[in-house]
Amino acid sequence: MTEAKTTAMSNRPVVTIKLATTSDELMQCYMLRAAVFMGEQHCPYWEEFDGNDYTASHLMLYVDGEPAASMRVRWFASFAKLERAIILKRYRSFGLFIPFVDWAREFCRKKGYRKAYLHAQRRLWPIFERMGFHKVDERIFHFSDHEYGAYVCDLAVDEQTMPTVFSDPMVLNRPEDRLDVSGILEASMERGASNPHAEWTERRAN
Amino acid sequence: MSTMAVSIDGKSVTTRLAMRMEDSLQAFAVRAACFIGELDVPYSEEFDGHDFGATHIIAYIGDEPVGTLRVRWFQSFAMPERLAVIQRYRGHGIGQLLIERCRKLAESRGSTMLYAQALPGDVKYWEKQGWRRLVPEETSSGTKRIVAMVRAVDPSKPLPELDAPQAIVLRREAQLDASGLPLGTASN
Repeated sequence: MTEAKTTAMSNRPVVTIKLATTSDELMQCYMLRAAVFMGEQHCPYWEEFDGNDYTASHLMLYVDGEPAASMRVRWFASFAKLERAIILKRYRSFGLFIPFVDWAREFCRKKGYRKAYLHAQRRLWPIFERMGFHKVDERIFHFSDHEYGAYVCDLAVDEQTMPTVFSDPMVLNRPEDRLDVSGILEASMERGASNPHAEWTERRAN
Repeated sequence: MSTMAVSIDGKSVTTRLAMRMEDSLQAFAVRAACFIGELDVPYSEEFDGHDFGATHIIAYIGDEPVGTLRVRWFQSFAMPERLAVIQRYRGHGIGQLLIERCRKLAESRGSTMLYAQALPGDVKYWEKQGWRRLVPEETSSGTKRIVAMVRAVDPSKPLPELDAPQAIVLRREAQLDASGLPLGTASN
């Protein structure tokens, strides 16, 4: 009985969510978006790849190691904007969307953002409202063939742990989706500070 | 024969080789749209590890990428594959334009033969484009039936002696040890 249960558990697909941190992961993110927006929704290339991909953070969701969903987050001064959220066709209706948005909200919250903002396609309004998002105002706007409303969700930031200019400098240097885990630069501290370029400014000054 | 022009709604279709990272991304995006988005091919099959040892040809309408073809280079032949045209631009001969660009490229490199793998249902189409079966009537082998097709790079010359392609297992040639899969997928 126990064993059967264990087997069933181990047969369940492993879902992993992470910040895209390598060029391969970025490529996976772009290809999922091309599949869904260009392939399924017939969006032109230059509308999909709009010039904001290199000012954003990209989140990836994997199912058993296979890229399955992605989302883009852009950072404004007072809010984080969630956008370009997609799930590949074959991975839909398994309940991945809500945990993915939750992960994104938690990511924003840990970075110290008090608001997550998004443009929701009209058909998704009830889902976002159930998740605690509310309309910014009554405006309805449209682009790339869809009607949208602006939604926002308040995030309960932890004043004690959120990054500020007074945070431990080495915490600010960590990979952003793992601010609570020691990062690679902390390991480099073992090498000490030989200040190899100490004379450079002097040379330039003379 | 070598002059081919395609235009859609008065706009001419141009082709060029991927030279910069952005070009490659455009080629990949067109393939993702067609193979992953439309045909439901898994990402790790579509991006199989051969993309950085190959040449990518891209078709444009204005600055919009609408089609692509990947060419891999072998000692005795060139291999066009991963032909994709965005759905709403199909039926205008963009595929043929890409193949023709591939043929000319192969010619300029001194390649004498093109080799491609076609689905059984597409064989007639390829035969009309001047291709012929590598093996006249292939006996079905493997789980997925794919028909090997060849074509002379210069149609005025006979096909060179065919010895190589059949012996080479191209379907799963070089899994590049384990790293045939995109880096990072194994650890996720």
